[in-house]
Amino acid sequence: MNMNNGIPLAQASALYRPDADIGSPPVLADPQALLNAFHPDYLGSSVTKLAVGANAGDSCQRELAGLLQAEAIIDEADLAGAPVTDIDVLVIGGGGAGCAAALAAAERGARVLLVTKLRLGDSNTVMAEGGIQVAIEPDDSIQRHIEDTLRGGHDIGNPELVAAMAEDGPDVIRWLIRAGMQFEQTASGDLHTRRAGGMNAARIVHCRDYTGLEMMRVLRESVIQHRAIEVWEQSPAVELLSNEDGRKCVGAVFKSLIDGRFRMVRTHSVILATGGVGRLHLNGFPTSNHLGATGDGLVLAYRIGACLRDLDSFQYHPTGLVYPPHLSGKLVTEGVRAAGAWMLNAAGQRFVDELLPRDIVSAAILRECQEGRGVRVDDGRVGVWLDTPRLERSQPGLLERQFPKLLARFRVSGVDPRHDPLLIHPTLHYQNGGVVIDVNGATTVPGLYAVGEVAGGIHGRNRIMGNALLEIISFGRRAGVAATAQRDRGPKKVTLEHVNRARRDLTLAGIPLTQAAPQILPDYAAKGIWNR
Amino acid sequence: MRAAYCTLNFFDFSHLTKTPMTTDGDNPQTINLTINGVAVAASAAMTLVEAAWHGGVPRVTAVSCLESVCGSCRVLLRRGKEVTVNLACQTFVEDGLEAVFLPPQPPPLHHYEISDFTDGWNIQARFHEIFPEASHCRNCHGCVLSCPKGIDVEGAIALAAAGHFRDAGEAFLECVMCELCDSACPELIAPAHVGLFCRRVTAHFHLRPPNLIYRLEEQRKEKMGLTGASHDEHE
Repeated sequence: MNMNNGIPLAQASALYRPDADIGSPPVLADPQALLNAFHPDYLGSSVTKLAVGANAGDSCQRELAGLLQAEAIIDEADLAGAPVTDIDVLVIGGGGAGCAAALAAAERGARVLLVTKLRLGDSNTVMAEGGIQVAIEPDDSIQRHIEDTLRGGHDIGNPELVAAMAEDGPDVIRWLIRAGMQFEQTASGDLHTRRAGGMNAARIVHCRDYTGLEMMRVLRESVIQHRAIEVWEQSPAVELLSNEDGRKCVGAVFKSLIDGRFRMVRTHSVILATGGVGRLHLNGFPTSNHLGATGDGLVLAYRIGACLRDLDSFQYHPTGLVYPPHLSGKLVTEGVRAAGAWMLNAAGQRFVDELLPRDIVSAAILRECQEGRGVRVDDGRVGVWLDTPRLERSQPGLLERQFPKLLARFRVSGVDPRHDPLLIHPTLHYQNGGVVIDVNGATTVPGLYAVGEVAGGIHGRNRIMGNALLEIISFGRRAGVAATAQRDRGPKKVTLEHVNRARRDLTLAGIPLTQAAPQILPDYAAKGIWNR
Repeated sequence: MRAAYCTLNFFDFSHLTKTPMTTDGDNPQTINLTINGVAVAASAAMTLVEAAWHGGVPRVTAVSCLESVCGSCRVLLRRGKEVTVNLACQTFVEDGLEAVFLPPQPPPLHHYEISDFTDGWNIQARFHEIFPEASHCRNCHGCVLSCPKGIDVEGAIALAAAGHFRDAGEAFLECVMCELCDSACPELIAPAHVGLFCRRVTAHFHLRPPNLIYRLEEQRKEKMGLTGASHDEHE
């Protein structure tokens, strides 16, 4: 296949008309065939089988498998002389899930330490634009929310987890409003709702297209202001700590980006809220994720023996930007399609119903690009149009009113989505699977909880819009409460026994110990992070 | 068949050496600047973050979202005698520019927990207890000049001091909590935190959406009917 096919940008731009008469998109006869042919998860070359660990024998994305079956960064010698801090609950990760967990634990009287790799609030949460899914409209129900979520995830999600999340929905919004988060309202004061892909009712509540930013700054401020929560920033977790037999999690080791020193934290409950894997650029894709999304939590959880799931399933969001270059892979919210924007190929035709589930829409875009109907910028970049000017013509002022972030991001680049269609291509957006949890966020390893994107089981093989922001608060709070309720005395002894066990397993399986993980930062951003 | 996208490489910086697609010249022009005192030869169209990575500038860790919503990558910029601040991910390289990544702002000196507020009638008094400096603004414009989002910080602080929390908060809609205004303020007003206070009390006291409350009430009754218990586990 010639990757240089596609219609050159100048030619495609000349063909584009915001007022062209365009009919309905073709009916998609066989979605599964489309996924099998074009979605990266379904291509045999992108997956492998894990050889060691709790998921030995399971399929896993190839690059991720390399990290899960890698050597630890540290050994016992590194911990000699490292200061030790004791705390009731340790939260690793400073995004929405971590903050919700920390606040819930602190509300229940725990002393909490929240440690984050970058700055408090540096996360995928802060970038979320679309909104939060919650069934509050009269024609909607919790049951329909559950059904849509399970169906969107190809019916392999854990119904118990999905039901817990959907039932928490209304109370999650109340909790957020009490903490001071604003939402869009209708003239009569109701929360404004939108319908998005894969949903049978209008169910997305939002704060313009700044939902994640509004949520994150409120949570961040709540955490900073809370008397019982201490925060360490610029401190990536490099390993968990286990008890004598290596079967229970009793703390973690951090290496400061500021002074390069190791610090140990000892506790009875560790809550992993480390987010996703976008910055591993799986299968060569650009990503919408923040710089710290390198899958550290998955690596640490797997090494200490936790069971993971759906490691061969990732969400490639349909509308990642191709241009301008410094925003490559960054997201245009699905809310724009929910508001009525169409996608067009280089010939100016619609090619798929824009509000089908994300994996199907992405596969359709990849099909257009591979079969020569994409808009080609150069050898490395091809995409399709997101027809924002047509949306602006049909609903003047809508983009400015409801999508200020979309317009603001382009301001420094001289692109105006009201006049220029956006060039888009699927971008690595979300890890559908993750650490296996129960309704309290507890993993299969005692003492270890996982919440947010690092956890799996809710979204099956495809997450529908608005469930990520709901999940992080719902399960963040559940884990915070459960971790606080655990009242044992805490560890007598902390060890790296699980690291030794993992090393033995790797050696026995004949896997060379050349690669070390977690990754901490992508290679291109990691030059000299610990150089003095 | 090898899928076409497997050969794409979006993150190797090669795109940075290519000409942006709206221009049609062919000038992979070198831009010379310094970042944290390190001389960097960058390509046009690089942001300061990309240039710092490209030039191997050590210990640049105050970077996260790369789309100017997280407020982490605060930079001080010197062009000749002019000194300004901005976010590195939305600032492009220029010849002769001296850029220094700033450390994060220390935690705020103002303390409150929103759960402490029970009576909306005394919220103005509480505001002035928590942020006594907010009424001391000397209109130096430092906050306005430092804001990378173009927020009229000074005007919003005046609104907040007068008790117009809803309008003041609305002015801070696009605030990314970079806290550059906090760094700039000689009166230590902490404008970013004032703005967030205004937004939070507005939601906390005034946002009572009927459709949400109706569903919550439905759930409460259902739970009572099913379990026969009268307590609500969510309080």
